[in-house]
Amino acid sequence: MDIIQNIISSFVSLVPVTLAQSLILAFVVLGIMIPFRMLSFPDLTSEGAFPLGGCVCGVLMAAGMSPLAAIAIALVAGFVAGCCTAFIHLRFRIHTLLAGILMMTMLYSINLRIMGRSNLSVFGAPTVFDWVPGLQPGFPPSKIVVAGLIALVVFFLLYHFFRTEKGTAVRAVGANPDMAEAQGINVWMATIGGVGLAGAFSAGGGALMVQSQGFADVNMGLGILINGLAALMIGEAIVGKQSVLRQLAAPFVGAVVYYQLVSLCLAAGMPPPDLKLATGLFVLAMLALPSLKRSRGPAPARETVRE
Amino acid sequence: MLEIRSARKVFYKGQADEKVALDGLNLRLATGEFGVVIGSNGAGKSSMLNAISGALVLDTGHVVINGDDVTAMPVHKRAMRLARVFQDPMRGTAASMTVAENMLLADLRSNRRTLRRGLNATRLASYKERLSLLGLGLENRLDTRVELLSGGQRQSLSLIMAVGGSPELLLLDEHTAALDPRTADIVMQATIRAVEALKLTTLMVTHNMQHAVDFGHKVVMLDAGRVRLEIDGKDKAQTTVPDLIGHFSVKTDRMFLAS
Repeated sequence: MDIIQNIISSFVSLVPVTLAQSLILAFVVLGIMIPFRMLSFPDLTSEGAFPLGGCVCGVLMAAGMSPLAAIAIALVAGFVAGCCTAFIHLRFRIHTLLAGILMMTMLYSINLRIMGRSNLSVFGAPTVFDWVPGLQPGFPPSKIVVAGLIALVVFFLLYHFFRTEKGTAVRAVGANPDMAEAQGINVWMATIGGVGLAGAFSAGGGALMVQSQGFADVNMGLGILINGLAALMIGEAIVGKQSVLRQLAAPFVGAVVYYQLVSLCLAAGMPPPDLKLATGLFVLAMLALPSLKRSRGPAPARETVRE
Repeated sequence: MLEIRSARKVFYKGQADEKVALDGLNLRLATGEFGVVIGSNGAGKSSMLNAISGALVLDTGHVVINGDDVTAMPVHKRAMRLARVFQDPMRGTAASMTVAENMLLADLRSNRRTLRRGLNATRLASYKERLSLLGLGLENRLDTRVELLSGGQRQSLSLIMAVGGSPELLLLDEHTAALDPRTADIVMQATIRAVEALKLTTLMVTHNMQHAVDFGHKVVMLDAGRVRLEIDGKDKAQTTVPDLIGHFSVKTDRMFLAS
């Protein structure tokens, strides 16, 4: 009994920290979901865009720039990175996944160039989390409030956008690119803009993360993609993906639940190095589930994506 | 008005399997005219439609719609002027989106898309009314995802989407070929009703000789990437199915002799 009590108490004590972290990483999950689900463009850029946002934000904060401006520039950097991935795919007809791998590999060097070294401490520099009145800066509650508020605003803006005329057109590009083009939609613009937007969200998550943890590291993106995918799968399993509302809620719900699960596993004594294996197996199981349900015959491809 | 001027397209140019898809093709369709295109497989029918819609870039030649040369325009720009119904019902609609959203996309084909709410009450009401003309009950399934509809329903939806907004040119690419005879008949009747009511300039590709005889003002037969036969006016009214099939067999006999 003692063991269980210990696990629960250490898990509960971690809840606020984990919640703050998961709300920040929800933006990365959003940056994975938008290309994957809205544009049928499985995109790996976030693995490079997340540290890109972090490095840009870290360098600018170290140079004394205001935290908000640093985030804004990080967003622009992420947007450009996403646009590049989409352009590589469209212009050279390179598979989306390969385009993403190319981009994230190149971004690693770029991130190192931006920072000039592999990590950078910005501890003590002002952050957006300091601005919450009545809460002690640097502690989880202020981070939860700030990240939560941004998440809420982003969620409603996106929900509104995807139901506008332009937003419906963007979704059509993901649903059926041939049809979208025949209906007068510029597939290039929609894809580049959409994947760019996703890159901006991933970078934004990285920038917030740097402000939250007080340092930037070129390796901070390692494995973020598979974590984000796992979070997305959990979110979609909980809230579904049948409507725009549900599809947009999935990244946020999924991120919160997933990181609490991870924290529970760690509290229960799972060695941290095993975490990636566990996450990978989980994502594999979620992706394989539909074909396992059909017990006989060859399973049809679960996802129809662009190549 | 549609004009194709000496269109030429060669696939795999300079290679062993070089194929001339369009060989100096000329075609003219007056405003409000309904042309039916027939021809054996590989005659260049699909290449011609793709060249008109912009999916195929011509080696040489021009495509002119209502006096404007659209040869250099990409597919999405030409979509402002023309609408197309594909043979495959899956291609003309967005499966994971609802009936109403598909209608909205078609509705915005020739407009600038704004950041205003897409599906508003006015639009939903007009979609309901337009879909009710089909008599398939689609007007009560506006919120249904298109993937849940049958092939015939999807194709009917594609048709309603295409004729909405009175495009300057309507392209029908064997649009009843994948349907069962009864559904094909429903879709064909709906097509004729819409084309006549809106006086659309229409180009229909078909393998159904009865359709070629029954409908349209003009029959164009393609062969080896050029127009082999054009029947219009009074001659068209007197043409019978055996006549048309005769033109096919003459060619086949020649192919026998040549080989």
